[in-house]
Amino acid sequence: MIKKITSSIMIFILCFFMLFALTGCLGAREINDLEIVIGMGVDKDEDTGNILLTAQVVKKDTAGRTSGDASGGGDGKAFWNVSSTGDSIFDAVRQVTHKTGNRLFISHNQAVIFGNDIAQEGLQEYIDFFLRAHEMRPTALILVAEDRASDILDAKPETEKFPAMNIAKLVDTYGFTSHFYEVNMKDFASCLMSPTTAPLVPLVSIVQEKDCMDIYVSGMVAFKKGKMIGKLNHDEVRGLLWVLGKVKSGVLIVPSPDEQGKAVLEIVRVKSKVTPEIKDGSIVMHIKIKEESSLSEQTTAENLATDKAFEKIQEATAEVIRQEIMAAIDKSRELNADIFGFGEMLHKKYSSKWKTLKDNWDEIYPTIELDIDVETKIIKTDLLKKPVSQSEEEK
Amino acid sequence: MSIERGKINSQQLLFLIAGFVQGSILLIDFTVGITEHQTWMVILAGLAISAPVILSYVALAKRFPGMNLVQINDMVYGRFLGKAVSMYYIFFFVMTLSFNIRDVGELYVTFLMQDTPFIFFLVVFAATCAYAVTKGIEVLGRVSHLFVVTGLFVIISTFILLIDQMDFSNFLPLFELPFIRIFQGIHIVSIIPFGETVAFLMIMGRLNKTEHAVKRTFFGLSIGALSLLVVAVRNTAVLGRTQTIWTSPSFQSIRLINIGTVLTRMDFLIGIAQTVLIFFKCSLFLYVLVVAVSQLFGLKSYLPLVLPLAGIEVIVAATVFQSPVDHAMITQNAGIIYSVPLVFIFPPLSLLIAKIRGLPKFERGKET
Repeated sequence: MIKKITSSIMIFILCFFMLFALTGCLGAREINDLEIVIGMGVDKDEDTGNILLTAQVVKKDTAGRTSGDASGGGDGKAFWNVSSTGDSIFDAVRQVTHKTGNRLFISHNQAVIFGNDIAQEGLQEYIDFFLRAHEMRPTALILVAEDRASDILDAKPETEKFPAMNIAKLVDTYGFTSHFYEVNMKDFASCLMSPTTAPLVPLVSIVQEKDCMDIYVSGMVAFKKGKMIGKLNHDEVRGLLWVLGKVKSGVLIVPSPDEQGKAVLEIVRVKSKVTPEIKDGSIVMHIKIKEESSLSEQTTAENLATDKAFEKIQEATAEVIRQEIMAAIDKSRELNADIFGFGEMLHKKYSSKWKTLKDNWDEIYPTIELDIDVETKIIKTDLLKKPVSQSEEEK
Repeated sequence: MSIERGKINSQQLLFLIAGFVQGSILLIDFTVGITEHQTWMVILAGLAISAPVILSYVALAKRFPGMNLVQINDMVYGRFLGKAVSMYYIFFFVMTLSFNIRDVGELYVTFLMQDTPFIFFLVVFAATCAYAVTKGIEVLGRVSHLFVVTGLFVIISTFILLIDQMDFSNFLPLFELPFIRIFQGIHIVSIIPFGETVAFLMIMGRLNKTEHAVKRTFFGLSIGALSLLVVAVRNTAVLGRTQTIWTSPSFQSIRLINIGTVLTRMDFLIGIAQTVLIFFKCSLFLYVLVVAVSQLFGLKSYLPLVLPLAGIEVIVAATVFQSPVDHAMITQNAGIIYSVPLVFIFPPLSLLIAKIRGLPKFERGKET
């Protein structure tokens, strides 16, 4: 009897509490009250030295329309760049509510763009909020603007509706050229925590073309101790990616064996292996790269699809790759920044010697020797087996 | 007369132990901050150290069939000392249960529902556990395999979904951290997921047949340890160096899941798994606590104590710690010290004394 009463009381209490849980009113945020942020820019306010935060907010009523009938209202923009200043990022995020009437909803934030001045000052103190805020995803991209982040967020792309989405798409498709790579918040934080590795972040610039502004990723910037120290161009970044084995695809141009034209190859597959070695006190990095490509274009009448030609092209390709790697290494020596993560590689292999190396890493890094071994192979010629030219005698 | 009439079989014991250990999955975060990328070996070492002790619990339970820990203590240490030891155990159960209830609250308030009051989760959660406890150990035993399967499903699926982001060089160099930190890590692991199974001394007495108990206990423990290991390996491989900075590495690594930009935002997976598993662990703990207290005071049934003790647990959970930082500090440093005698000393000692004194002398079931 008592058991029955207790259990019915228990059920009653449970049901009572479930009433609260099931309403879902607490902390509810309806979609029309949300200020959905898809991109954020962080700049330095030129006048006060405070942080100038630009948040790209989706306009709900225009966002649903197709880009054709944007004539309906206003300037046809589907986004609103709202900015505010504050002493810290979070302060600025909250100050925005003076303008938006609601707090920002940053779960869908695609990219965070830091202005040039902020990057030079050091990202360490600004990145904390983006990792700590519970609405922020660790997969959000991180970028640096060549000048001001707010300008980048203002440049309206032609096909996409939202500049921030456009930038995310640009970065996402890096695989076609491997001229830069995607860096998200977690990757960047991971590099910042390393005592030696210099993080890289894609650099976005604006080009003025006639009457429209285009955004493009012009390379990557290197950081050291959280501060921006220099820029790497497309080839240098690919040189880096060869070593890291992160090259997805891309175009390699080599002179054709008869030197009349060019052979254009598309990178199909890349494998790389880096083995550090400490020999007689000097550090040698053995870099072994295996590359496979396809012949995608040729600008000469000579038939390149022969064993002889392949051999020459493969040699030339290896040379091009080697040059790209050397360009990256020269640059990193010039900046004295360990963009390759050689320090971490040594750390993992020689953990006992690492303790002494770590403290003088800045002096040691430029003296690291490299042993580069590139192996290339052409695996297909796509739809043609001979070039389009008047048939001649096969040599 | 025993205050619990329900019986479990050794198969159910296996799943009870496995689910119990799995319930501590988020708690390995306490260790990660100390042992970084060497957490996986700390888990293995913790298992190796605690497995013999845990098997001694089974030996003890086999020696005193049908008896629970409080009865065993009374018999081995005499009425007064035995009661004191039992009080110590009850203190341990109260504290550990409140830590775990608090963990659920912190999980929800930090990651899932930020605006909801903390106490609300504690009350709802404790009420659910109390409901489960009123159903008795038999019911918990019968559903245990469902909890274990849910846990394994989430652990394995998240591991597979994150495979493309794993970098196994994050485990190198293998031995780097100073020994003292590894030692502290092993200490934490051997107490928090594994040593807490000392609570099963309250449950093992309900086994209908004890013949396979040792094997099954070890097997259950292995499933639990394997789950912890998979989680630790996943977090280290995915997060690398950053795993020490997040409030919850597990949560953060699951937030990174991104398969073709379609399979993203899988936070709910760990939300479900964690709620389910910690519910199971807390229900078992609450059951153990309630039975231990009723046995101590010689009650005929434990049911009247379920709600009051659940209420006390909520209050303890809500008031003992000021913040999650406080919580982690106390668990990492104080919690593992006061539990050492309970986990590593008393049960083997009881076994030894029982052997020397030739206990149990009385016919079983006569003690109150």
